[in-house]
Amino acid sequence: MLVIQNLKKIYKMGENVVVEALRGVSFQVKKGEFIAIMGPSGSGKSTLMHIIGCLDHVSEGNYSIEGENISKADDDKLAEIRNKKIGFVFQQFNLLSRSDLLHNVEVPLIYRGIKSKKRKELVVRALKNVGLGKRINHKPNEISGGEKQRTAIARALINNPSLILADEPTGNLDTRTGEEIMKIINKLHKQGHTIILVTHEPDIAQHAQRIIRFRDGLIENDEAVIR
Amino acid sequence: MIWETLRIAIDSLIANKMRTILSMLGIIIGVGAVIAVISIGSGTQKQVTDEIISLGADVINIFSGTSRGQGGKISLNSSDVFTLELSDYINEVSPSVKRVVPIAQGSGLIIKGNINIRTTVIGTKPDYIEVNNYNPVLGQFITSDDVKANSNIIILGSSLAGDIFGEENPLGKKIKFSYLNKDYLFTVMGVMEEKGGGLIGNFDTQAYIPITTYMKKISNSRFVTSYIAQANSSEETSEAAREIEFFLAKYLNDENQEKFELFNQDQILDVVSSVTGYFSIMLAGIAGISLLVGGIGIMNIMLVSVTERTKEIGIRKALGAKSKDIMSQFLIEALSLSGLGGVIGIVFGWISGLIVAKLGGMSMMMACSTVLIAFCFAVIVGLFFGVYPAMKAAKMDPVEALRYE
Repeated sequence: MLVIQNLKKIYKMGENVVVEALRGVSFQVKKGEFIAIMGPSGSGKSTLMHIIGCLDHVSEGNYSIEGENISKADDDKLAEIRNKKIGFVFQQFNLLSRSDLLHNVEVPLIYRGIKSKKRKELVVRALKNVGLGKRINHKPNEISGGEKQRTAIARALINNPSLILADEPTGNLDTRTGEEIMKIINKLHKQGHTIILVTHEPDIAQHAQRIIRFRDGLIENDEAVIR
Repeated sequence: MIWETLRIAIDSLIANKMRTILSMLGIIIGVGAVIAVISIGSGTQKQVTDEIISLGADVINIFSGTSRGQGGKISLNSSDVFTLELSDYINEVSPSVKRVVPIAQGSGLIIKGNINIRTTVIGTKPDYIEVNNYNPVLGQFITSDDVKANSNIIILGSSLAGDIFGEENPLGKKIKFSYLNKDYLFTVMGVMEEKGGGLIGNFDTQAYIPITTYMKKISNSRFVTSYIAQANSSEETSEAAREIEFFLAKYLNDENQEKFELFNQDQILDVVSSVTGYFSIMLAGIAGISLLVGGIGIMNIMLVSVTERTKEIGIRKALGAKSKDIMSQFLIEALSLSGLGGVIGIVFGWISGLIVAKLGGMSMMMACSTVLIAFCFAVIVGLFFGVYPAMKAAKMDPVEALRYE
């Protein structure tokens, strides 16, 4: 489903300083796979996340999602792919603090052009699925961290994306709440969603089927998890 | 989509009430000032114009011009051109002219007991009331017998009569007119109706005596100050003015028309409208500048708002917002600010215009076009100054924006 070939990301900092964040990375992700990406900070895993999440452009190499090569796509095209094919779950939750959960979850539907009545229907169902059916009119500062992350998961799923991209989803949560979130993610995997999880916690990474380790902009190893 | 964007923009304005009000303040004051200034301006213009029109469209004032004195000096004593007879000549030779009334006037003190009031005394003929459409409410105006006999009779303007006599009936009473240190005794024969301000002085504060009395007893001159000519009808006013000009130029041997000047309502209206027009433009310009300043205020607030909401922009972009979605969100926010500010400004301008007009005794006229122009200008200002912050927001890199704390 995802094909990444010899991917490079080069940042120009000033005139002569060039930073190679990714120095030629290749791997594939099959539909329904659950992958964990690990590596120390500065290893290039965040950069890879941004590229896979279509938040950033590719410098060299190829990246295709569901057969569509988007290495050369413009900003609007990337926005459209983010909207339709990718569901983000962030460490910082990244909810709109001034809006209620209803609006937070419906944002991707708005940019997709779904009508208000239909949106409300979908949002209510999505929030019920993560156990927040009664919190629909609450604002993010009125709910707990775990509830915030569940809201973010509802939002990530609302457009029925091909890929769920979770960047340290338990990083800001206590262990017990983190476990709860991982249960939801596991459930999503069982339902057939493709999941890429970035984490530096080995315990969390063990939930995945396969772990790719990064170091200095290259893949250090890529192996299946043996249970 | 546009409704969604509008809702998002309005939600954000409501969420920051204080900031919203402060940033609208410039626009409110700007639009308010434009509305108030233009409304009072056009109200005043209408008031003045109406007053001039009420003086009669068929009237032509003839003044003596400032002729050159000896040695190139401007002669201050320029009134030695018009005689009493000349008024009759003008009337005879100009077929479009119905009548010509001579006027000789001077300023002195009217004295009765311990009251003395500085007053302009007009020496004139009985026709004066016809030309000015101005009638006595008590007694009578100057008669032709009074003119023939150089009688010492006087007719008082309404407020002058009130100032001298109060509630007392002035008819038949004697008053003194003191002019150049000489006193003249007059009998009050009439009091005029209220008329208010005219082109030349205020009718109500003046006093009227026979022209012959003025010339022979007071000024001792064979020259009068001016003439008022009346055309046969309003339509013939221009024709009458041409005839008078032609005749006087020949008669006074004054081809360049230096010795006399004609003044009719059209000319005065032109002058008034050009003067008030300039004023309106100038004041509206100043008000416009304050609108511009208001626009800059909006831009500042929008720029702050964009920076403050960097994270929100990042989130929206991550969730699929295109640059144009972000752009329109912030543009609509700026437009809502300026539009709402415009509406409040219109109300504010209307109220303050009413108050100022009331306090200053002016009249106010609020035209639809003024309101529309002020509102559109406010919206354009919002659009213009909203574009830069909106573009800044739209151009944000989603990765950078998401990282912002």
